[in-house]
This record gives sequence, C-alpha cells and structure tokens, in this order.
Amino acid sequence: MTTFSYGTTAAPTEVEQPETDEVVVPELPWLVIVWNDPINLMSYVTYVFQKLFGYSRPKAHKLMLDVHYKGRAVVSSGAKERAELDVARLHQHGLWATMEHSG
Amino acid sequence: MSFRRRIRPARGGGYELRLGAEERALLEVLPLQLVSLLGDAGDKPPGELPQALRRLLPPAYTTDPDAERSFVSMTREDLLDSHRESLETMSATAKATWLDEDQLSAWLAALNDLRLSLGSMLGASEEETEPPAAHSHPAEWIAYLYLGGLQSELIDILERTLPEPIPGADDLVPEDVWGEPPGGLRWDGTPQPRDQ
Repeated sequence: MTTFSYGTTAAPTEVEQPETDEVVVPELPWLVIVWNDPINLMSYVTYVFQKLFGYSRPKAHKLMLDVHYKGRAVVSSGAKERAELDVARLHQHGLWATMEHSG
Repeated sequence: MSFRRRIRPARGGGYELRLGAEERALLEVLPLQLVSLLGDAGDKPPGELPQALRRLLPPAYTTDPDAERSFVSMTREDLLDSHRESLETMSATAKATWLDEDQLSAWLAALNDLRLSLGSMLGASEEETEPPAAHSHPAEWIAYLYLGGLQSELIDILERTLPEPIPGADDLVPEDVWGEPPGGLRWDGTPQPRDQ
C-alpha cells in the first residue's frame, strides 16, 4: 500500500508568544477528503462542490478531476466541528467523504 | 431518432416533465424499495450494513472507531431523514407533469441515491455503458443506466440555477497536499482498481 504524508502545507507558523502564563495551543485544521468511486457522475460531483462550498466552476471541476484521477482530493479544511459539518453535508449528497487531522 | 428532452424549464417557472408511463412506474416504485431497506440501517457501523446501503451511509473517520461511533450517533438520523425525504418526494411526484425547483433537487438526490445503491449491488465500474453480456441482473443494470441518463439531464438543468460563486472561496481550499497520485486509493486505503 502506498503511504503518503501531508507535506508542508499545514506547517504551523511561528507566532510571537504573549507574555502570560496561559499556553494557547492553536488548533490544527482538519482536512475533508472526498474519495473516488465508480458510481457518482463527474458532472454531479462538480455540481455538488459548487453548491455546497460556493466554489467557482473551474475550481469545482479541478477538484472533481483530482478526485477522479488521483483517487481523492482535499475539498475543505477547518476546525473539527466545521469539518464534521462538511462531511455530513457531503454524505447527504452521496459523496464519499472522510476527515483527517492535518497534524 | 431525435433526442427529446424529458425535463425542461416551464414557461411560467418550474419544470415540465415528459416521461413515459413505464419510466414513471419505475420512478414511483424503486425509491420506496430503498426507503424500506433504509429502515434496517439504525446506527449500524458501515461495515455491518448491507452492500446496497454502504455508499449511502459512509464512514467519516476510517482509522478512529470511537470518533466514528460518535459521528454516527450525531449524524445518522439526519442522514437517513435526508435520504428518505428525497426518495419519498420523487416517488410521490413520479406521475406529475410539473415540478418546482425544490422537488427537482429532491429528484436529483433520489436518483443519485438509487444509483449508489444499485451500483454497489451490481459492482458497477467506471465508464460502463451497457450491461455486461450474460450478467445475472440485466433488469437492474438497465435501471441503473437509465437512472444515470435521467440524472445527467437534471444536472444540466440544475447547474444553471446555482448561485454565483462565493468570492474568495476558491482560495480557502488547501493545496493538493499529496502532490502526484500514489496510484489512487479508495477511502479505506486500498488501491483503486486500475483501468486497462
């Protein structure tokens, strides 16, 4: 099985620490991933990305092609609750979505 | 033979439906069969669901069973309701000659659900345009392909109703974090079947 890593896109940026005793742990984003499947129509997948996320047609089309040819694509990211909401909405539209922590 | 659109925008708003009696009979009955199947899903994890339902109720977390259990308990009821609502709307309006936009959107969702269910049962693969010779379920194959054709027509119409893109939304999508394809993986981490 092929393994993969998340590269450097989610690397935390260095921020100046405020001088307090509180340690603020920034929440690393979650990635929402849509997986390829042999059933969903390509035009339908593009339509759903536009409808759910407000992406432009070229962007939605590009994400659909990534899903189709690469097997999966990250379609959104954010805090855990936001990612769970996106996954649930994608499931309601019949897309094969999962979520992973980017850390 | 000329191609005749089965669904088209109506003059006074909404959409005109021109379907044959056999098509309408199929679109009335099939969704109810799937609704009845959904009745057994409960909060079973995806692995314990019948093949016909797995694609309708997929997992969110594939490597964390506790998180998956909590996700299912949070979302399963809404997801089942959403599938049922679309399927019941299509069945109830299968004999209609006119649909409003919400009903047409429900048809799109219901057609997709039926194809996901039939396609998983039949082991559908991409680019399949006709039933394999001597297939054991020829009727289901024909229904599967028919529903795909109708769904394509609906998408052509409904994509014209999409709102304008949200400014800046495109830029929020993370870069392709994996780079080049590793050969393509399925959701469970197994490789995609290769095209010839």
